[in-house]
Amino acid sequence: MSNNRVSRRQFLNYTLTGVGGFMAAGMLMPMVRFAIDPVLQKAGGGDFVPTDKKVADITDVPERVDFAFEQVDAWYTSEVTSTAWVYKNGDKIIALSPVCKHLGCTVNWAGSPDHPDQFFCPCHAGRYEKNGNNVKGTPPLGPLDEFEVREKDGLLQIGKTRPNTLV
Amino acid sequence: MYWNSKDVSVFLEQKEFVDTAVIPLLLIDGQASQLKQNASSAEFLMALTAFIENQFKGRVVLMPPITYTKKSNYQQLAEEWTETLSEMGFKHLFFVSSDMAWGTEASELNVIYTPSIPLENMDQKLRQSVLDDQLRQIIPVFANRWAKNGQ
Repeated sequence: MSNNRVSRRQFLNYTLTGVGGFMAAGMLMPMVRFAIDPVLQKAGGGDFVPTDKKVADITDVPERVDFAFEQVDAWYTSEVTSTAWVYKNGDKIIALSPVCKHLGCTVNWAGSPDHPDQFFCPCHAGRYEKNGNNVKGTPPLGPLDEFEVREKDGLLQIGKTRPNTLV
Repeated sequence: MYWNSKDVSVFLEQKEFVDTAVIPLLLIDGQASQLKQNASSAEFLMALTAFIENQFKGRVVLMPPITYTKKSNYQQLAEEWTETLSEMGFKHLFFVSSDMAWGTEASELNVIYTPSIPLENMDQKLRQSVLDDQLRQIIPVFANRWAKNGQ
């Protein structure tokens, strides 16, 4: 036992300060966390998805490239596979979205024997030229979307879709 | 398109373009020895029809599967569904099943038979390519039937 006895008043003071401190911290911490949240957010890596397609192998004929990425719906993560039609226009790599602008079917390159150098939608015979421009007189109302692309370590990476810039 | 309210409202607006229903037929056979097999073939059929939906999104509506048992009356099921779906305005009906009995019991239904492939042990990539191959075999069936009945 030490000599300086703690008085009842002191004891209550210490306890209340301690408990009050914890309560204040409990209220303030989440507020501070919310306030600085944008700073702590992950950059997201630019949202480019790697594919296993070598850039050197891409020719001027559109080719199917599948790529898989993780999609998060609230707490549920699922792997989604998506497709792009990739070809080279000179030195530039073009990746077009296979989603028909009519009602969303999947278009195929040279899908119709009558039009071997066009994209063809099997649902309602919609057609697109190689640059994604919709052929007039067929159901689609706009050109195919384009993916952002980049090269990393010789492999193709595919990013977000954007409206067609070639037409 | 799927059988949900969002897609169905598109269907109602675009009836001239959306004229096809895809209906998976799922057998649930009560025997304990068949349960695993049933589940596996249901998994396969649902994955395959989702692939078909993705390919032909703008022209087909993927209906919820018709689930039946060995005791069901195949003939009656076929008639009921053909009638109801035709009333809804579908011109083409594609029933897909991995139950061979449909070929003999209700042959006028033209069920597309696909042998069930167990997907559960495959990784994502293999799964994708197996389903792709199956889809590639089914596309001409669709194209032919569409071409035959006009449009």
